[in-house]
Amino acid sequence: MALAVAERVSFLYPGAAAPALRDVSVGLSPGQVTLVLGRSGSGKSTLLRAFAALIPHFHGGRFSGRVEVAGLDTRRHGPAALAGTVATLFQDPEDQVVFTRVLNEVAFGLENVGTPPSEIEARATSALAAVGAEHLAARLVTELSGGELQRVCLAATLALEPRLLLLDEPTSQLDPEAAEALVELAVALARERGTAVLMTEQRPALPLELCDRVLFLEDGSLAFDGPIAEARTWLVERHPVFVSAGGDVGVHLHHEGDVVARLDDVSFAYEDHLLVLDGAGLELRRGEVVALVGPNGSGKTTLAKLAAGLLEPLSGSVARVGRATYLSQDPGRYVFRDRADEEVAIGARGDLASARRALATVGLAGYEHRHPRDLSSGERERLALAAVLAPDPDLLILDEPTRGVDPERKEELARLLRADPSRAILVVTHDIAFAGAVADRVVSLAPERELAGV
Amino acid sequence: MRPVPAAVLLFGIAAAALLAERTASVAVLASVLLLVCLRAPGARRWPYLVGALGSAAALLLVTPFVERLPGVIYWTGPTIPVVGTLDVTSTELSGAVFNACRLAAVSLAFAAYALWLDHDRLVQAAGLARRSVLAVALATRLVPALERDAAGLVEALRGRGVEPEGLRGRARLVSPLLAGSLERSLNLAEAMDARGFGRAGATRMAQPPWGALDRLAVTGAVLAIVAGALWL
Repeated sequence: MALAVAERVSFLYPGAAAPALRDVSVGLSPGQVTLVLGRSGSGKSTLLRAFAALIPHFHGGRFSGRVEVAGLDTRRHGPAALAGTVATLFQDPEDQVVFTRVLNEVAFGLENVGTPPSEIEARATSALAAVGAEHLAARLVTELSGGELQRVCLAATLALEPRLLLLDEPTSQLDPEAAEALVELAVALARERGTAVLMTEQRPALPLELCDRVLFLEDGSLAFDGPIAEARTWLVERHPVFVSAGGDVGVHLHHEGDVVARLDDVSFAYEDHLLVLDGAGLELRRGEVVALVGPNGSGKTTLAKLAAGLLEPLSGSVARVGRATYLSQDPGRYVFRDRADEEVAIGARGDLASARRALATVGLAGYEHRHPRDLSSGERERLALAAVLAPDPDLLILDEPTRGVDPERKEELARLLRADPSRAILVVTHDIAFAGAVADRVVSLAPERELAGV
Repeated sequence: MRPVPAAVLLFGIAAAALLAERTASVAVLASVLLLVCLRAPGARRWPYLVGALGSAAALLLVTPFVERLPGVIYWTGPTIPVVGTLDVTSTELSGAVFNACRLAAVSLAFAAYALWLDHDRLVQAAGLARRSVLAVALATRLVPALERDAAGLVEALRGRGVEPEGLRGRARLVSPLLAGSLERSLNLAEAMDARGFGRAGATRMAQPPWGALDRLAVTGAVLAIVAGALWL
């Protein structure tokens, strides 16, 4: 018998032109791991919100159909009533943290659902241990890396011992090892405790190995619902990039040119005086795409910022030729102007023609007049990319450009970067498949603070 | 020291500064609080110190011009329609110094609360007022959150080769900062809703009992208020 059921669910966000969900019917069984796939904006997160009763209770909008979780109809029972039975891990961990210390953050949900006080600390500690974050219990959440914070938020959901676990792109900020551990943990929960797991993912390779069932959403409609074996066949026929993400993206046009940036023996420490980089080196040549990979906290972003000139090294030297631009991890930071073309033109000394060309390059022709805040998350990613392309840099540095980006869009991005021989490109990424697809050279930054070309 | 007695002590000192009638007494209280704030890590303390001391300095500068009190005239300026003749008298000046010290003391007490107290434990110690205390704790975290957001926005500009210099350069950060905080507060509210915040029957993690230092702090707070009302 299904633990949770959605029957003919349709939903329209307030002010939206088109429904986010159209007539979706799904049943979720205990012990089953279900993977939800689809392009950005196809309704994956909305489906998760429907099972958490956040739709329609938190978001408003027009809701039709019926969602029932553990016998509770979400039209009559709100998210707070379902908390404990349902637990949700949202996409951005920074936006879901309430407390300043890790242990208190994990304990928050337990307190809300009325767990006996004497049990709260033990359950919170045990949940932290389950995600390998027991050592973080006394730390301030502001001190944690994105990956560490993601694990803390996962622990906060696991501590509730929910019957239905909703994971919205849970590995987006994790390195491959941590991502694998998280997916395996979700599967173990389903097998050992009978938890029903519903997970969205933009790096589907590993979940496709381990999950039981796949849902594929297209424009809010359920295009496929079936077991994993059938899903693979269907995906190969209809959306091959979801099963072959990381494959070759076509002709490699690049030829190595002159050195655009060289970092020699650089070291760096932040205010806490912990050495993030110690004697690192990197050379970037015009016409090549270099992927910088490594575990969370290994200093990838720091090295990228040093190459871009946003940070000054503690010791060692950084030499650059021409102009460098740096794409921040958060596309929400490209919102200074009211029009997309004016926003993109900021870095191009106000040259609107260059800005419009850059928008067209990333597939946003026709979006010139739109307000950056009105764009979807995928469109914001592309706007941010246009903003760093418009100045026509000699060195283009992209920090986690595929976070929250669907496999089809990743392939487009890889094609775009590979077809650009006019500059050196450094891509910082956790997405090993994307690194393999886009890069001429992959540089692995090890936690021992040594660089090793791969 | 536990956060509740520490908060009570800071409240007591701020109340004493409001009740005291001598400028020297208020200045001493403000100086003590300033020393407490100066012991906080440099990167965290500056926005609070700029806010507290900046607002006190602004009050000190503006008050003599908007008040019209008798006394020895130190300076006479132009006559402005509606306001009248601008002048600075000894009474206006001493009143301005007194009020500036008061404002500095109260602002620095808040700064010390924000910089030093464990807000989590304060929320957990709050009984019936837990929701209100949580709201205050989240609001207190707004300053460092805005600071982080501002740093991120500056980085996004510098990453495009644009240095946001001067007042005008910094002013362009205001709109995205405000819009960003609204977006974040909505996301946080959604996450809190999903985690059962506001549900009846909430409990709290067990806390250790009060120690001698905690009781001493509460006593000190009461004494500060009494002294402020009667002798300072």
